[in-house]
Amino acid sequence: MTKICTRCILDTTVSDIWFDDKGECKYCMINDEMEKNHPLGSGSEARLQVLIEKIKKDGKNKAYDCIVGSSGGRDSTYTLLKAVELGLRPLAVHFDNGWNTEISVKNIKRACEKLKIPLYTVVADWEEFKDLQVSFLKSSTPDADIPTDYAIYSVLFKVAAKEGVKYILNGHSFRTEGTSPISWTYMDARYLKAVHQTYGKIKKIKSFPVLSLSKLLYYSFVKGIRDIRILEYMDYNKKEVDQILKAKLDWEYYGGHHHENVYTKFFQSYYLPQRFNIDKRKTELSALIRHGQISREEALREINSSPYEYDPTVVEYAKSKLGLSDEEFNKIMNDPIKSHNDYPTYLPLIKTLKWPIKMATRLKVLPYILYLKYASN
Amino acid sequence: MIVIVDYGMGNLRSVYNKLKRIECDAKISSDPEVISKAEKIILPGVGHFKNAMEKIKEYGLFELLNQKVLKDKIPVLGICLGVQLFTKKSEEGDVEGLGWIDAETVRFSIPEHQKIRLKVPSVGWNSVSLVKTDSLLFKGIDPQELFYFVHSYHLKSTNSSIVLGTSNYSYEFISCIEKDNIFGTQFHPEKSQDQGMQLFKNFVKM
Amino acid sequence: MIRPRVIPILLLKNLGLVKSVRFKNYNYIGDPINAVKIFNDLRADELVFLDIMASKEKRTIQLSFIERVGDECNMPFSVGGGIRTINDIKTILSAGAEKVIINSYAAENPEFIKNAAMEFGSSTIVASIDVKNNFFGKEATYTMGGTKSTGYNPVDFAKLMEEKGAGELIINSIEKDGTMEGYDLDLVKRISEAVTIPVIACGGAGTYEHMANCFKDSFASAVAAGSMFVYHGPRKAVLINYPAKNELLQIFSN
Repeated sequence: MTKICTRCILDTTVSDIWFDDKGECKYCMINDEMEKNHPLGSGSEARLQVLIEKIKKDGKNKAYDCIVGSSGGRDSTYTLLKAVELGLRPLAVHFDNGWNTEISVKNIKRACEKLKIPLYTVVADWEEFKDLQVSFLKSSTPDADIPTDYAIYSVLFKVAAKEGVKYILNGHSFRTEGTSPISWTYMDARYLKAVHQTYGKIKKIKSFPVLSLSKLLYYSFVKGIRDIRILEYMDYNKKEVDQILKAKLDWEYYGGHHHENVYTKFFQSYYLPQRFNIDKRKTELSALIRHGQISREEALREINSSPYEYDPTVVEYAKSKLGLSDEEFNKIMNDPIKSHNDYPTYLPLIKTLKWPIKMATRLKVLPYILYLKYASN
Repeated sequence: MIVIVDYGMGNLRSVYNKLKRIECDAKISSDPEVISKAEKIILPGVGHFKNAMEKIKEYGLFELLNQKVLKDKIPVLGICLGVQLFTKKSEEGDVEGLGWIDAETVRFSIPEHQKIRLKVPSVGWNSVSLVKTDSLLFKGIDPQELFYFVHSYHLKSTNSSIVLGTSNYSYEFISCIEKDNIFGTQFHPEKSQDQGMQLFKNFVKM
Repeated sequence: MIRPRVIPILLLKNLGLVKSVRFKNYNYIGDPINAVKIFNDLRADELVFLDIMASKEKRTIQLSFIERVGDECNMPFSVGGGIRTINDIKTILSAGAEKVIINSYAAENPEFIKNAAMEFGSSTIVASIDVKNNFFGKEATYTMGGTKSTGYNPVDFAKLMEEKGAGELIINSIEKDGTMEGYDLDLVKRISEAVTIPVIACGGAGTYEHMANCFKDSFASAVAAGSMFVYHGPRKAVLINYPAKNELLQIFSN
């Protein structure tokens, strides 16, 4: 029997979930903590201004004062727009993992042209990236999308360091996307390496960076590069943002969360629901419920009325592009399920370093969400 | 079952792929037994008219095709060289065709002063002006859509009843025909994006 | 009336897409099948695939690759790279390509073009001519990725290819390649004036204006571009792009 949170719609398909005596879930609690830390209102505007001034000051004699990762999706495009409107001089950075769609490419191009922002891309060697993606599919964990996420993360830090820029503007917002449950998505460098070494064929990845923990710490503490979730300082309404982006940047919607990338479309609409019974729409809808952008009833209706619809041609395309035979694909879809706990990760270390991490978040060197999600219980 | 006739010439795979995409039961075959069971036939073609006619005879398909198309009257779609083969004869090789339509195949005759701009073969995307505007073959296709042409020869006829549509390349020429069960396009629907797919869908539905 | 074609040129090296400058410094662009998918969605007129290592490595493009492109591609595509026999052509056309592009072997053995045109029809045979100034500053035709001089003068070679039955010519300016500063308008014009078959201009496209001029002043039947359709901006970000329908009409409307 699936138990559903009484406030949002996350349920026991999230294996690390727990509920308090009101029936509200762990992720509602995390949301409330985040809200306490980052309240909206005139306070947040003032804090945003201070931050913007600092970014401008630190970037004064440089070509750019911040880096913005751009995928052509709603969040990253809105981040670019806001950055420019707030008077910053961003460098847009795109990581090409070989799965771009015509819409994502068009959106990136139009945004950069209209906002007059320079664009820099890192293109993964397809054979290398394919090898990494396939190893994650073979790992039997739900984390088969983290190669892209981790690569983007690494690329942004590396480019920031190279350009002498201290600020990475991140389009994530706990208010509209929600925090992805750790049992649904887990990533760290040790985990990535372990899975790749176990199932991959290519020994060393050369065409894109995969930051080690020590490198990440170096960039954060020594180089002082900060990852800022700028949209968390603003009141962000999804539907309104869509209109704004369309009007100002000729932005086009691609029909699903992160569906601007074909692999993510395959992953979220087919792989996760079919294999793991994970429906990522629940995290996004839950976030919108908590922030009054949709009612719980509407959200439940949406989830219950239609299973996550997938396009069989996308599945066929993914299979063919990844070079998987029917047999290999069937094995991937039916092998016993595992989790990140079955592989070496930094999670035990993170849990041990709970208090130093909390301090680092208080000092704003690391985002607070990192502590809440990984280090706390 | 639709048979894409393989007489050794033509981009069969492209046609087959497009039919597969619209979930049509199609087969590529040069086997007379298979062709004799076809409910519809597609005759693609790229290359030399004379070679094509020789190959059709060599493969033993000449009589069979006549039987299926003229006697059994099954729908047939000729593409590019394919539709040219339906004509009585061609200037290319000075050879007789299948003679299913009252037309002949002639080489583009471009006036001297236009030759610098209008090269032959004519290659590219061109519009089709429909004469038979209620044709089932073009159902649901926006008249502004372009189709992909690549040819040095085109159809010519004094018999306007067979003309389905015309296109312009220095002058108007017949770019598609329709006569009872016989259809043909000078352009390549299998290379003409969504509008080409729609044309195949329409042919399959007939 | 036929609108001039605008054709992305995709160079393949070890099954990855690459882009050069002056036929050197090949930069990795990405997975070619994904590029096909995007150009499909952007409704490109045609695609050209050239395997740049094929002649040197004495082979043609991998058949399974051509088949995959054929399965994905909704518009015509041409394939070039190491083609030397009638069977090579047969295999490539059967795999779904519309036309084949012959460069090195066309100069080595022009009779081959004649045989190929007779077997498959002129319209499937495209001769590709790479041009740059030789050591003495004189315009010459090169093969093997711009490394081997053929001794032919480009206009004469173009005429020879037409005579042998080639259905189209791709004229590639090595010096302009990857520079995005404009086509070699004079070269393209002289060749267009010398032959009655379509000429596809390549090498140097950077803007739609370059393309419009090439069509208007140099009588190109089609304009091809590499860098312009895969790069964006001063930092040469890799971003596949192609003009929209209305932009295409605008380019050639004057």
